[in-house]
Amino acid sequence: MTTQQADIGQGRKLSGIWIIPILALVLGVYMVIHNWMTEGPEIKIAFSTADGLEAGKTKVKYRNVEMGLVEEVHLNDDFDGVIATVKLDRQALQLLRDDTRFWVVTARVGVGSISGLDTLLSGAYIQMAPGLGTEGQREFVALEQPPLTPEGAPGLRLRLISQRASSVSAGDAVLYSGYKVGRVESMTFDPSDRKVHYTMFIDAPYHELVDSETRFWDVSGISLSAGANGFKMETGSMDTVLLGGVAFGLPPGMPKGEPVEHNTEFEMYASYEDILKNPYRYGTHYVISFSQSVKGLLPGAPVEYRGITLGRVKRMLLKESIESNIDEGRGGEGADIPVLIYLEPGRLELPDSQSSLDSLYNSIRLGVKNGLRASLETGSLLTGAKYVNIDYFQGVEAAAVGSRFDYPTIPAVETGLGQVEQKLNALLDKFNQLPLEDAVGGANTAIATLNQTLGSLDTIIANQSTQKLPEELDRTLQELRATLKGFSPDSEVYQSISSSLLRLNRTLGNMESLTRTLSGQPNAVFLPSSPTPDPIPEVKQ
Amino acid sequence: MTTAANSNLAACHLCCKLAPAEVHHCPRCGSAMHVRKNDSIQRTLALLFTACLLYIPANIYPIMYTDQLGTTEPSTILGGVILLINLGSIPVALVIFVFSVLVPSGKLMAMFYLVWTVERHSPLDPRQRSVMYRVTEFIGKWSMVDVFVVAILVALVHLGGLLVIRPGVAALCFAGVVIVTMIAAESFDSRLIWDNMEDKNSDDTTS
Repeated sequence: MTTQQADIGQGRKLSGIWIIPILALVLGVYMVIHNWMTEGPEIKIAFSTADGLEAGKTKVKYRNVEMGLVEEVHLNDDFDGVIATVKLDRQALQLLRDDTRFWVVTARVGVGSISGLDTLLSGAYIQMAPGLGTEGQREFVALEQPPLTPEGAPGLRLRLISQRASSVSAGDAVLYSGYKVGRVESMTFDPSDRKVHYTMFIDAPYHELVDSETRFWDVSGISLSAGANGFKMETGSMDTVLLGGVAFGLPPGMPKGEPVEHNTEFEMYASYEDILKNPYRYGTHYVISFSQSVKGLLPGAPVEYRGITLGRVKRMLLKESIESNIDEGRGGEGADIPVLIYLEPGRLELPDSQSSLDSLYNSIRLGVKNGLRASLETGSLLTGAKYVNIDYFQGVEAAAVGSRFDYPTIPAVETGLGQVEQKLNALLDKFNQLPLEDAVGGANTAIATLNQTLGSLDTIIANQSTQKLPEELDRTLQELRATLKGFSPDSEVYQSISSSLLRLNRTLGNMESLTRTLSGQPNAVFLPSSPTPDPIPEVKQ
Repeated sequence: MTTAANSNLAACHLCCKLAPAEVHHCPRCGSAMHVRKNDSIQRTLALLFTACLLYIPANIYPIMYTDQLGTTEPSTILGGVILLINLGSIPVALVIFVFSVLVPSGKLMAMFYLVWTVERHSPLDPRQRSVMYRVTEFIGKWSMVDVFVVAILVALVHLGGLLVIRPGVAALCFAGVVIVTMIAAESFDSRLIWDNMEDKNSDDTTS
């Protein structure tokens, strides 16, 4: 009995069977540790809707490799969105950066492409695009639309601002000389500035084509114009005709600009013609206050300096003018009309930059001191359209560049018809000042005296002796004619005079030969003259 | 009361022949002989612990994966039960719940209770405990139903890419739980329940 009890005590020593639970435990602990070691991060992604998301089913993929699974989908605290809790693999840890992006991939049928057809059977999945920022981010906001360019792709991301949406939309091509070099990534309308904002991506190496002077324009659809040389149709590639697109390039004659940074903002022009019309981006506003009629001056009218267009008229600042007049208690009488003009230094072949605006301002400031003034000129006599001319004027009052409505001002002078009118007025004023009353009085007395004189003349003429004067004159003339008749060639006096003259001529001829003899031989009066030998010409040695 | 043990007799494990306890091998069939099963309590306990450890992953991990049109849907035992309840198949859910959840856990608890009472020489009704043991031993094998269902589904449902069912880790663990508890029940010597009483009785009689 006692030995049996001792046997039971011996049986209490550890049996080899304990290896089994220990093995199971080790296995279990290994599994737990392995699981814990390979356990990936848990992240939260905010979506606007849970469309396509299913807890426990929807996968997260990167480069089509499964990186995790959606564990839970629930509404956010404000009930205006959905938060998906996603369990990711451990290898995804390094991919979770603060600019990592997520979006839902479903089948999309666009005009240009069809994508995500595989998701029709397998269901939507969440695509992941790791960023380059700092690691450690655990909460993300999903993109509404899949991004078109992977983060970190070489190239240039730019922003475009357009006044109207046109037909360019996300995914459209960006063209350079008709060749596709990038694409429009997104399009948003900002109600605060009422403009459409695009982002686009230019692939490397074409991003070097973009510089600060580059202009972007809409090449969507077909542009048709009719002119003197027939119809002209302009289209981009077939893609852009159907889908729309953005083209870029330098305006003709524009020098190359500086290289640009990421996210530089550009304006999108409606067409290439629009760029040709307004090729400059930097401009500045000035105000010119005209005190004459601005009839015929329309917004868009040119502002010229000696025939070179500097800019154009923006608008008349009537509202501001009236408001300021009311504020200052002035009436509308005699109020001048402020005209806002827009000057572009690029038109003067200055570089299209901010510094050119300053140099333009400085040159205008100096010019105004030396008589630079703005005037209204008639551009077309037919239509009466006017333009603003800026030129140097002689003899103007000294003035300086001022400031009005926060714009610098250029003093104005009146020219053209206005000037003529002014001069005419001055002339009339002078006329008015003339002592016409006295002059007319003087003339009246002069005329009276003249009358008197004429009266006395009448009495002289009426005198008989005066009336006989012509008769006596006639008689005198007849006597003079009779006298002259005696000297006619037929008269005796004339004959004797002419024969006397003939004889005198002969005598003078004799005298001539005598004087010749005397000058050769003075003693010839006394001595007979020897005949002179014929002269013999000397022979030259 | 005269018992085999009292009379210093041991029964052969294989052919149940009674022989003196000093003889270590059955005179009839030659297999090993003990008065009581060797290290019965320790073995049972060890196997019960093993079963407990296996029972954890069996319930946490999915017992099978359903690949339907590219979507993989894992399902755990309890998840399957809840799914069936939601689908309205309450009887089926009940069967699975009873055989896959209640029975294995109940069996584990019952075995622990039995081992504990034997170790503590509990005076509680040995008859009741014996019935408990027999029921446990009988019902334990039915827990394999779940494993078989999975095995059959995996073997039968293989419709190319449309629908494929794959076994999960839990199926293996669950099978392990069932097998290990069965062995545990087998290695438990039910005579130990009565030994206490016998000891007490003999103590009473001797004193």
